[in-house]
Amino acid sequence: MCRNISLLVISHKLRFVFLLIFIASLHGCAVMKNIPWQYWSSPLYPAEKIERNHFSVTGGTDVVGRLAVLKLAQGDTLPDVARHFSLGVHEISIANPGVDVWVPRASERIILPLSFILPDVQRKGIVINLAAMRLFHFKEDGSKTVRVSTYPIGIGSEEQPTPKGLMHVSRKMVRPTWHVPRQVAQDRRKKGDILPEKVLPGPLNPLGEHAIYLESSYLIHGTNKPASIGLRATNGCIRLYPEDVKRLYADTPVKTPVRVINQPYLVGRRNGWVYLEVHATSEDSDTAGLEKMYAKLRRIETQSTRPLDWKKVKTVLTEARGIPVPVFKIHEGSEPRDMELIEVSHPGELYGKPKVPEMKIAAWYILSADEREEIDALRIAAMINHQGPQIPARVSFRNQRYLVIAGPFYDSHEAREALKRLKIDLEMEGILIEPQ
Amino acid sequence: MKKSLLMISMMLVFAIILAGCATTRDLEKVQAEGQQTSAKAEQALKEAQQAKAAAEEATIKAADAAIRAENAAKMAEERAQAAEERANAAEEKAKKADALFERSMKK
Repeated sequence: MCRNISLLVISHKLRFVFLLIFIASLHGCAVMKNIPWQYWSSPLYPAEKIERNHFSVTGGTDVVGRLAVLKLAQGDTLPDVARHFSLGVHEISIANPGVDVWVPRASERIILPLSFILPDVQRKGIVINLAAMRLFHFKEDGSKTVRVSTYPIGIGSEEQPTPKGLMHVSRKMVRPTWHVPRQVAQDRRKKGDILPEKVLPGPLNPLGEHAIYLESSYLIHGTNKPASIGLRATNGCIRLYPEDVKRLYADTPVKTPVRVINQPYLVGRRNGWVYLEVHATSEDSDTAGLEKMYAKLRRIETQSTRPLDWKKVKTVLTEARGIPVPVFKIHEGSEPRDMELIEVSHPGELYGKPKVPEMKIAAWYILSADEREEIDALRIAAMINHQGPQIPARVSFRNQRYLVIAGPFYDSHEAREALKRLKIDLEMEGILIEPQ
Repeated sequence: MKKSLLMISMMLVFAIILAGCATTRDLEKVQAEGQQTSAKAEQALKEAQQAKAAAEEATIKAADAAIRAENAAKMAEERAQAAEERANAAEEKAKKADALFERSMKK
C-alpha cells in the first residue's frame, strides 16, 4: 500500500515536472521566435571579446562581424544594451520585434545584430549608409586587406534629412562650440525655450566633445544625448556615441572623403555564401534599389551551382530586420558557420547606463507622472533617465499607484530647470516637491 | 317421455348453472385483469407524465444552459474585446511615449 502511495506521489510529481518542462519549453519558444537561426555555439562568449567596430576585409568579402545573443538582466533597457555593444536603438529594436524597448522582460534573449553587409560603393574614406543608420570608415593598409571601422549613427529627421552625396572633411575640433542654427532657435522659442546664440563646451552642448566639419554646413559629431543614436532626430548632422566619435576623430584626417548614400537593400558574399540585408526606409520606396538587388541575386544564381531560396528572399524583404540572412537554399547541416549565433555573457554593468542617485531628505524632487500600470511608470522613468543630460528618475509605489519621481536635485534652481526640460521636451506637467 | 324431458331439462339447467359458475370466475378474473390493466395504465400514465415533466424540465434546463453558455460566450467575447482594447491602448500609449522621446532627442 505504502509502495502504491509513494508510486502515486512520484507519478504526480513526475507529471508536475513534465508540465513545468512543457511550460518552460513553450516560454522558450515564445522568446526564441525573435531569433531566426536555430543553431547555436556554446559555451558563453565573454561580452568584452565580441568585436563591435573593427574588421578586416579581403577581396570578395562583403559581410563582416557575427550575430550574437544576450540574455537580458533585470532593469536593462534596449538603449543601454545598444550602447554597450555599439549598436543603434533602431538596429537593436528592429532585430528584436516585439521586445519592449524600455521595459523588456528580464531573462529574455535578444539578438545583437553585430554582423553587417558593407555598402555597394567604393571602399574609401567614410561611407554613411542612411538606411542602415551606420557609418563605415575604410582604411587601406597597402595589402589586399582593407580595414573597416563601423559605428551606429543618429541622422537627420524627416523634416530635415541628412543630404546625400560626396563631401570631404574640412576641419576638426575638440570641445566645439555650438552656434545655434536660426531654425533650431525659432523652434525652441515656440516651445518657450530661449536658446543663446552659442553654447559653449559642456554637458548642455549637443555637439559633445568632438566635431568633424564637412565642406557643407553639416558635421559629424558626438552628443549629449547618447540614446538618440539610431534615431532620426538631428537637423541633418551625423551623431555618434561619445566613445565612438572619439575614435573616429583620431582616425580621420582632414580631406577624408565622406560619401552619404541610402542603400536599404544590401547583397553580400562571404565564404561562398550569399547574404541579403534589408532595412525599412522612411524615404519613398527605393524601386531602383530593389530592382538592382533582384538583378544582382539573379546574376549570382546564374553563376552559381546552388539555387537561391527565393521564398526566403521574400521573407527577408518583408521582415526588413537589418540582419544579413543567407539566401542560398540550405540543407540540414549545411548552414554557414559564419552565421552561427554565439551567446555572450551579460557584462553585469552596461557602459553608459544612467545611474539613479539614492534619495535624500534634504533634496528637491519632481512628481513627474502618476500611473496605474507599473509598466507605464517604468517606461516614463526610463525615458526621463535617458534624457541628455540625464534627469534621474525612479518609480515609487504608493496607494495602489505608481509614481514617477525625478530627482534628487540639490537646489531649487536645478529642480526648476529639470521641471522646465520635462515640460518642453517630454510635455510633462511635473509637480515640484520641496525638501522636508 | 316426460321423464326424459325433465332429465334433459335438469341436465340443461345443471349445465347452465355450471356454465354460469364458470362465467362468474371468468368475470372475476376478467375484473381482476381489468383492475390490473387499469393499474398498469395508471402507472404508465403516471410514468408518462413523469417522463414528460422530466423532458420538460430537461428542455428548460437545456434552454437555460444554452442561455448561460451564450451569456458566457458573450462575456468572454466582451472580456477579450476589452483586453484587446486595453492592449491597443497600452500600445498606443507606448507609441506616443516613444514619439515624444524621439522629439526630446532633437537639439
